Amino acid sequence: MKIRKSTIIVHIIAWSAALLWILPFLGVLMAATRPFDEILRGWWNFEDFNPSLKSFVDAWNYRDAPIGEGILNSFLVAIPSTFIPMLVASLAGYGFARFRFPIRDYLFITILLLMSIPQQMVAVPLFQIMNDLGLVNSFIGLILVHSAWGLPWIILFMRNYFSTLPVEVEEAAKVDGASDFKIFYKIALPMALPALASVAVLQFMWVWNDFFFALILIGSTDRMLATQRIPYMSGERYVPWDLLSAASILVMMVPVLIFALLQKYYIKGMIGWTIKG
Amino acid sequence: MERMEAVIAGLVVIAIIVSASTLWYGVTVLSDVSKLTDSTAELTSSMVDLTEELASLAGTVGASLDTIEDVLARLRAVEATLTPTITVIGPWAGKEMDAFLPVLDRFEALYGINVKYKKYRAEELATLLPAQFAAGKTPGDVIFMWGWWIAENGEEGHVLDVTDLVDEADFLNGTFDPVKVGNTIYGGAYTGKVKPGFWYRKSFFTANGLTPPTTWAEFETLLADIAAIPGIVNPIASGDGVGWPLSDITEHFIITYGGPQLQRDLIAGTVAWTSPEVKTTVFEEKLVPLLTAGHFSDPAEWTTILKEWWDGDYGLYFMGSWITGMVDDPNDLGVFSLPGCEGLVFVADYCFIPTYTEHLDEAKELFQFLASEEAQRVQVAQGGHIATNIHVSLDEYPAVDRMVANLTTGKEVLLDLDDTIGGAFQSTFWEQLQLLWVSPGQLDAVLAAIEAVAP
Amino acid sequence: MGRNRITVKKNLPLFFSPALILIIFFVVFPALQTVYISFLSPSDEFVGFDNYADVLSRAEIVNLEGFPKWPPLGALIHNLIWIAIHLPLSMFSGLALAIILRDVKGASIVKSAIFLGMVTPMVVGGLILRFSFEERVGLVNAFFNILGFEQLTRTWTAYPETALFALIFGSVWLWTGFSMILYSAGLATIPKDYYEAAKIDGASPLRTFYRITFPLLKPITIVVISMTLLWELKIFDIVFAAFSGTRGPGGAGNVLALQMWLYAFRFSEYNSAAVVATFLTAFTLVISVWMIRYMVKR
Repeated sequence: MKIRKSTIIVHIIAWSAALLWILPFLGVLMAATRPFDEILRGWWNFEDFNPSLKSFVDAWNYRDAPIGEGILNSFLVAIPSTFIPMLVASLAGYGFARFRFPIRDYLFITILLLMSIPQQMVAVPLFQIMNDLGLVNSFIGLILVHSAWGLPWIILFMRNYFSTLPVEVEEAAKVDGASDFKIFYKIALPMALPALASVAVLQFMWVWNDFFFALILIGSTDRMLATQRIPYMSGERYVPWDLLSAASILVMMVPVLIFALLQKYYIKGMIGWTIKG
Repeated sequence: MERMEAVIAGLVVIAIIVSASTLWYGVTVLSDVSKLTDSTAELTSSMVDLTEELASLAGTVGASLDTIEDVLARLRAVEATLTPTITVIGPWAGKEMDAFLPVLDRFEALYGINVKYKKYRAEELATLLPAQFAAGKTPGDVIFMWGWWIAENGEEGHVLDVTDLVDEADFLNGTFDPVKVGNTIYGGAYTGKVKPGFWYRKSFFTANGLTPPTTWAEFETLLADIAAIPGIVNPIASGDGVGWPLSDITEHFIITYGGPQLQRDLIAGTVAWTSPEVKTTVFEEKLVPLLTAGHFSDPAEWTTILKEWWDGDYGLYFMGSWITGMVDDPNDLGVFSLPGCEGLVFVADYCFIPTYTEHLDEAKELFQFLASEEAQRVQVAQGGHIATNIHVSLDEYPAVDRMVANLTTGKEVLLDLDDTIGGAFQSTFWEQLQLLWVSPGQLDAVLAAIEAVAP
Repeated sequence: MGRNRITVKKNLPLFFSPALILIIFFVVFPALQTVYISFLSPSDEFVGFDNYADVLSRAEIVNLEGFPKWPPLGALIHNLIWIAIHLPLSMFSGLALAIILRDVKGASIVKSAIFLGMVTPMVVGGLILRFSFEERVGLVNAFFNILGFEQLTRTWTAYPETALFALIFGSVWLWTGFSMILYSAGLATIPKDYYEAAKIDGASPLRTFYRITFPLLKPITIVVISMTLLWELKIFDIVFAAFSGTRGPGGAGNVLALQMWLYAFRFSEYNSAAVVATFLTAFTLVISVWMIRYMVKR
């Protein structure tokens, strides 16, 4: 295999980018594994180097709000909050892309508008609605809220993605008498796998990292999500940087691993270009 | 309308249950995406079938929901008659929490009421309490919060009027001012902390032949001497984080060179920040020259710079008395106030009872207990706190804190300026001071901005 | 046996009702309440647009006297500056990375590294930024120290001239992963045949990009731009964590969402907060209309 100069350059750029991006996180890692005094003058100094994983263990088992339990809770919320909007929004996105009906564009714009609403503003009304529904301090309530708030952007993305897929295959199926729904889930949805994978990763991550809705809706300590448990460890005049860093790393690792896991679904050409073939 | 709500609620709930259960099935075979697609498809087709049947189910669901409500209500009634547990909310975590829990244990032992501690920072409470109060609920029965916030919310009816539960004579003068509106008291005072002045390491001073100053001239010389020591970055470390270390220093200057009454006037709003007694006497003559001479460091994160100060990068650090719990060797700590200082800021922790509490009597008991000499004695004995209750004797304090408590003798006890006014003033005050610290030349603009939001 | 393309009514409910139900309950209702409050005075009288005139002319929102000058310039202006710098930078670096990483071995590791930024809970992100730009502890400062730029070795977040920019550049670092992921998905849809055809025709890589790749990515680009814009307008957590709840020195780090939070939860000015929120939404309307018109044109 000839190794061309351009390939080398490309590889260098790619790996430098990776290194550049990771540097600040190395700082967090240092704070989690080394005593604070060592990294006081910059973590790149290694004269005193006494690493240990104690902070991770302490954070994982922290008193009444262990990170381990928090991660479990976050999973219980994030997984449904990813799948429900993915499904619901794919349906709607497909509808916007393929169907024609009078109010379509107005409806679409309205849904887009909703993306711009800042979370902070709806604290009071949202709590009231959830209180009336009896869903305060329940995971189901939080899942519903996250699903609803994820819908606008996922609808936008899926609609745009579906519109790039060639209609010929779908039209062919329609001529054969298939219903809209069958076309959707037997043809369009499989072709949208890379998009679905992207959406899954991003939505999961957004829900995972959310702090605000969790703060408003989840009150009891044993139900707190992972992101709530990080600031829980610092007090008024007491900031345990090592615990905070270790906890942050533990919490952050999950979406990254999910991302790495779903990488294989971005494979080029996975979409069957049966038309050209 | 109620029917409609029940129908929709039922629809949503059932759809969620079906999705959730099919999802759990799907999740267990997540590694294989094609199976995932199939289960998603399964899910979708079940949803389709479901939609058609739901119309008839709606009626049955509505009826079942009513029955469930009944049962729940009866369960709640039973629960209420068992041993009550009340919740107290405070901002303390880690070591701070360990120091507070003994007080709660003492309460449980004396009164037989179970107490649960929940930790929320003040910013978090600021966000979630309005939402809960609007719905008539509360996350705790006794809550610690900013004094000015308690007063404001008292006026709006969310906070219980506790004037009858408190006897001001038992407390330091003026303790309840931040939580009072007119003559109505809305908050209780727990222990607090003093902001006595500039801290230094006694070993550092001895090693360099330095002594605490007794006049302004000596203070300036001290700063120059420290600046000359090799390895020193700046003589005075400036903490930052939220802004309060800077405001603490500023208030200390105001009190010392403007007088304790000036602090009170500024809190009340009877003196302008742009007036000569503030601008010239305090800032132009005293604080700004030190800033311009580079005697203060740039504002840096306060816990980090505390370590750097302890390590010898800085000579002095203006801090509150909680510093005694944050260093390795509290006995090496020394502190001095600015020469001529006649008043010290004392900042107390305030708590309140929300009007929405479901355990009013028990909450009142805890509330009064926290204010009592007994509770405060247990707290101060662990160090880092100063009691507001005057019946707590000096002997109860550990050695270092006794030194701090002694500093207050002969001086007037004053309230923290920005903590008492709160709101927009506090934020602007902090930000403008951060600006002043790096741009002392902008004094006029800074004072004008502060005056614009002052009472 | 041809069926016409206009669908039979029966199918619309299936495709749209789940979404609409969730959205109406949990997004629209709360949002409408907010808009309503923005038209009321603190004593609950209806005052129409008076609130808007008042709030939008305050110095903390727009402060352009003596422009051009360094921040503080008001929250709205800060958000616009944020957009002007962050949008192009994060979009193009994401695109570039997505393209480069198509042909790299171990691309998923690199992508995961870049994605780390997106994955960080914003409260942690703000803290990382704060420390990265601090005089003795910060990576960026150490870097400029080596290069000899004295001015930039001071703590960026302590000085009004640099506070905002520290956060903006930091947010580019955080957000590039977003456009990279979306573009990666988009690039996967472009059939290889197109590229082969272009190569046979002798087109240079740059030409291929301009004529084939970029146009085909337009739908993705629209999503990237709109999501990024909205994120920039709503940015809160990073700023909150970096400045610990204040607006930076002299208010030089203020952004609309932070100001809104302060109005609602610190200053008890709920009506002003509602004004800012509604204003943000209206701003989006302008952008969405532009986008729809653009998309309908294709």
